[in-house]
Amino acid sequence: MKWKVFFASATGKYHLDGNAPCQDFGHYVVADDVLIGVVCDGAGSAREGQAGAEFFARRVIELLTDAVKSGKFADLSEADYSAFIAEVVGAARSELEETALARELTPRDFACTLVGCIASRHGGCFFHIGDGFAIYMKDDGDSVLSRPENGEHADETYFATDPAWREHLRVTAIAEIRQGGLIGLMTDGTSPFAVNRPKTGFYRPFIDPVVNFLRNATEEHGSEALKNVLADEKTYQITPDDKTLLLALAN
Amino acid sequence: MSTIIPDVALIDNSDERAPLVLVLDCSGSMQDDDKIGLLNDGLKTLATELKNDPIAARCGRVLVISFGGDNDVELMGDWTDAMDFEPPELRAGGLTPMGAAMRCALDEIESQKSQMRSAGVSYKRPIVMLLSDGEPTDEWQQVAADCKAAESAHKVNIMAIGIGNEANRSILGAFSNKGALNLQGLKFKELFIWLSRSIQAVSRAANGGTVQLNPVDSWAQINT
Repeated sequence: MKWKVFFASATGKYHLDGNAPCQDFGHYVVADDVLIGVVCDGAGSAREGQAGAEFFARRVIELLTDAVKSGKFADLSEADYSAFIAEVVGAARSELEETALARELTPRDFACTLVGCIASRHGGCFFHIGDGFAIYMKDDGDSVLSRPENGEHADETYFATDPAWREHLRVTAIAEIRQGGLIGLMTDGTSPFAVNRPKTGFYRPFIDPVVNFLRNATEEHGSEALKNVLADEKTYQITPDDKTLLLALAN
Repeated sequence: MSTIIPDVALIDNSDERAPLVLVLDCSGSMQDDDKIGLLNDGLKTLATELKNDPIAARCGRVLVISFGGDNDVELMGDWTDAMDFEPPELRAGGLTPMGAAMRCALDEIESQKSQMRSAGVSYKRPIVMLLSDGEPTDEWQQVAADCKAAESAHKVNIMAIGIGNEANRSILGAFSNKGALNLQGLKFKELFIWLSRSIQAVSRAANGGTVQLNPVDSWAQINT
């Protein structure tokens, strides 16, 4: 099974108007047919949120790639995923703490959410801290979701940099990936229009035309088209936030 | 090759739910002057008004709790989206277990919130409207204190409303930090139109903002 991966990120209206950079960051690698993808949303309230998002996305992917290449990931069973992911996220956090300390900052200054996946045809898992969504949609439309975790109020979420990150790290196993399946990772700017209203899967009038297009596109061309969708001015009516979406088709 | 993907629907599916719990007195005295009939008509007005507003119809979540009988508290159906809300036919008879009914309302709100949270659905502060023409025939002091505490913690917005001269305003007022109001005459219809407008306003409010509800002079008795 081969992965075809598309990734795009568009700066939201709020940051465009303020001439500020996009605070989302996403990255992916396909190593030995294992898809490793992460999207992070840097907290607007954090001084280095953007740097935090980039650091987490890149570093977690590097550590997971090492685990794939060393054969460690292939040896894991479903019961091992939580401890394995906690070890990787914990290692990335420790490095971030050192970086923060060296710059006389605190981890809180780099606050960001984390939505990721590591998956081969034999399965894998989503891992998630804070808001955003991860969805695996099978070819029959049935979906496995990792939903956002928010605080009591709608605008409060949890961050990978929180001292209590372990309590908020959620790992969702995916039993197997079948041909025709679709994995999506997104930040909370994208989910209002990409996820359906009962939050049980993708919003089909959004995702179906996108996937139909992407099936016949190269990764490069498709990612460019995906970026045009995310940057569409119609999204400004929905969210002022930055919008990031990674879509991976299992072929 | 074009980089424009045709026919992609871009609409907002994230609108927050606005929960509303109606806690309604169905004790024997509600038969007098056909108050129960007017209350039933009021619920029908509420259903129509909510459904006529596209945003309130999508966002409103309604639960009706009745209390009466042999100190019975009854859920009149499950939580429903306003667009699917079919008002129950309430019957009057028996006692006034107001304390147990309000306890039930607080519990239902917490369990509904946790269900919405785990589904990734966000929500506004729930509104509880307590309507009674009398006073409790069960323990109410602790529940009333818990209602006020929940209100102070911004978990819920409670409106306690008395009907007629026999309503015990000071006990009703103990369930809310805002005290109680009295219905002017039997203006149930005006009350439920106002409530529908309030749900419309809450549904449209921005995240985390406070909502200014409409003035209550269409239905509330003005104290002199």
